[in-house]
Amino acid sequence: MVRQKEIDTRKGKLHGRNLYLMVGLFMTGMALLVAIVGVFWTPYSTTAMSATERFAPPSLRHLFGTDNFGRDIFSRVMKGAGTTILISGLVVLMSGTLGIVIGALTGYFGGLLDEIVMRFTDAVNGFPSILLALVMISLLGSGRHNLILSLGIVFTPSFVRIVRSEFIRLRDADYIDRARLMGVGRMRILFVHILPNIFSTFWVSVMIGFNNGILAESGMSYLGIGVLPPDASLGNMLSDAQGYLMKAPWYALAPGLSIVWIVLGFSLLSEGIRQMEGKN
Amino acid sequence: MIKIENLSVAFGDTKAVQNVNIELAKGEILGVVGESGSGKSVTALTLMGLEARDADITSGRVLFDEVVLAEAGQAKDRALYRRYQGERMSMIFQEPMTSLNPTKRVGIQVEEMLKLHTDLTAAERRARVLESFADVGLRDGEQLYDCYPHQLSGGMRQRVMIAMAVILHPDLIIADEPTTALDVTIQNQIIALLREINAKEKNAMLFITHDLNLARRICHRVAVMKDGRVVEIGPTEEIFANPREEYTKKLIQAVPSRIKRKCSEADGHQGSEKRTSPVVEVHDLNVYYREGTNNLFGRAKKHCVVFNADFKLYQGEVLGLVGESGCGKSSLSKAILGMNKEIEGTVSHFSARPQMIFQDPYSSLNPCKTVGWLLEEPLRAAGRLDKSLQMSKRDMQEAACDMLKKIGLDESYLHRTPSQLSGGQRQRISIGQALITRPGLVIADEPVSALDVTLQAQIMELMKKLQEEMGVAYLFISHDINVVYRMSDRIMVMKDGRIIEQGRTEDVFANPREEYTKLLLRES
Repeated sequence: MVRQKEIDTRKGKLHGRNLYLMVGLFMTGMALLVAIVGVFWTPYSTTAMSATERFAPPSLRHLFGTDNFGRDIFSRVMKGAGTTILISGLVVLMSGTLGIVIGALTGYFGGLLDEIVMRFTDAVNGFPSILLALVMISLLGSGRHNLILSLGIVFTPSFVRIVRSEFIRLRDADYIDRARLMGVGRMRILFVHILPNIFSTFWVSVMIGFNNGILAESGMSYLGIGVLPPDASLGNMLSDAQGYLMKAPWYALAPGLSIVWIVLGFSLLSEGIRQMEGKN
Repeated sequence: MIKIENLSVAFGDTKAVQNVNIELAKGEILGVVGESGSGKSVTALTLMGLEARDADITSGRVLFDEVVLAEAGQAKDRALYRRYQGERMSMIFQEPMTSLNPTKRVGIQVEEMLKLHTDLTAAERRARVLESFADVGLRDGEQLYDCYPHQLSGGMRQRVMIAMAVILHPDLIIADEPTTALDVTIQNQIIALLREINAKEKNAMLFITHDLNLARRICHRVAVMKDGRVVEIGPTEEIFANPREEYTKKLIQAVPSRIKRKCSEADGHQGSEKRTSPVVEVHDLNVYYREGTNNLFGRAKKHCVVFNADFKLYQGEVLGLVGESGCGKSSLSKAILGMNKEIEGTVSHFSARPQMIFQDPYSSLNPCKTVGWLLEEPLRAAGRLDKSLQMSKRDMQEAACDMLKKIGLDESYLHRTPSQLSGGQRQRISIGQALITRPGLVIADEPVSALDVTLQAQIMELMKKLQEEMGVAYLFISHDINVVYRMSDRIMVMKDGRIIEQGRTEDVFANPREEYTKLLLRES
């Protein structure tokens, strides 16, 4: 095990530098920059149509070309990436917070509550997450707020499990026993004494969760139950583009490659961070 | 037979072993003694060809019967090593728990040595394994053969390890701290066994230990290592009688011995005068251990682990509690502190918030906090519970600085995290953390067992000093009767959950009543 890890670590290193971290930072940095700029400014309006410029191939005028309504795809990718990243971020924020609270309480106190929550998460984990989110959406109705809510709920159990197992591992640690003897209150033990110790583990799962969030949002919007047109998201752009795959391949490639770029960037970044921590 | 010539081993820029020269003759037991990090294990592992991947031999060579096994600048000849490993030299590790494969029956594991190195038939192999079990003093070999490691006790596991090491009658046995993880009584049996094997097989043995006393009992010659160098080498008794190096003298002095106590007694206090009022009274206490509490439907089973404990601990007194691991010492201490609620009988405290010091300095400090925070936290907790004890930030910082000085560290440590401290320093912080609220009682559960001998002496001295300054009472728990002797005014001996003997330390040592106490005294 240890040796395997050593070898893995060496692979990503070029002359002692953390290649994962550098490439990951570059890719996510670019993605975030484009998305943030897209909030305030895009080369063209994302909804401005032009009958004369339908299916224009990529050119200097339209970097990624135009779509079936003559809208500028680059502008829509900028906006869409922002929407997707924001939704995924909010999903992770929601499920991560819920995961910490529920996982901490069940892991630390155990007992009947723990048993019930665990059997519930077992049940949730038994279904594919997209399917569950679909059920939630059909109950709540579509739209971006409901999308965040349902994905947030669907993603929570995995965070609960990770946090819970870490709390179980640490609740009997000698230093926690000593904190109890000092008279430190329960909530303070939970969130001041134990919680900071699980962050390195938690951080990795946040990164993974974020990537899953991007993919889930894209998938849901592709199915037409997430972000609704005319708003752009990477998922619903893909969905629109599939009818014109032969006629205007750039229409599908632009959002598709953007998703790959973002997900790959975050994967590399989380691997890089893990290595950096391993080194310390 | 074995020659290590001018050997240096480095990990990157760190030199682990420097210019070591060791010769080992047939039938000889050579002790390599030193603190952890002195390079003794790296030397042994290099000799065995098991050094870590990033270890570099920077100078010298290793010879086995005139054959060069390893040499600086030469690529490692794995095929050559494989002919020697196991068959002509073998190794016994410290941790019998992890050096046996938990998923394989022990008989199979020992048999594997024969499978790899001999052409015996299955029946012959089995016979040889059973024979070797008998040789290392394991009875009921037939039954044992099919046991898994977790079904055996630590001592038995170590015997299995030894059986594995000697079954091919190797010329060299390397024993790396083979008894450190074991109880004193079992330690002695294993030492006797190793000596017997050496006498019978006439093989050479490299015995690595941090415990000079242990080395004295088994080794013909001793090499003392410090910072990767052999500082002194010679016949054991000569080294003990006339240590040339300062460091060796320090090591010899640091060994807790019973003679030392008498001097500190002369300039000090009378144990009986301290008897003022009790800080804790334990009356007829039974402690239970619950199994399988994590199961929703299973009914928890209760085991009684401490029977009818009955004693008092007085203000400013040190009460030693001695016994083997598993005798209930820790269960008793946890029950006293209310960490185990499965008890019958009464525990009456006459002081607020007794504290505890644990054995393992690596797990008793929260790894993601700074030393300053750790020292202030007890004060914060106390302030939160009782408004009259609330302190300002400045006062707490000052108290933390004060405590740092008392435990022999300076203010530069305030902002360090535990990972930046050594084991001894961590244990100092633990002690500071326990004492900063000035509790009346501190329970110290094997506080020095995980430390090197020199550190042990320092930590015990520190605990003594602070106890006299602050008037705190200690319940001092250890498996090492010499350590307890050095610390305690009174002493209790525990066996199988019962306190079988208690009395003033001198009385118990001079006239032990129980057979078991006598055994402990004899063997230490």
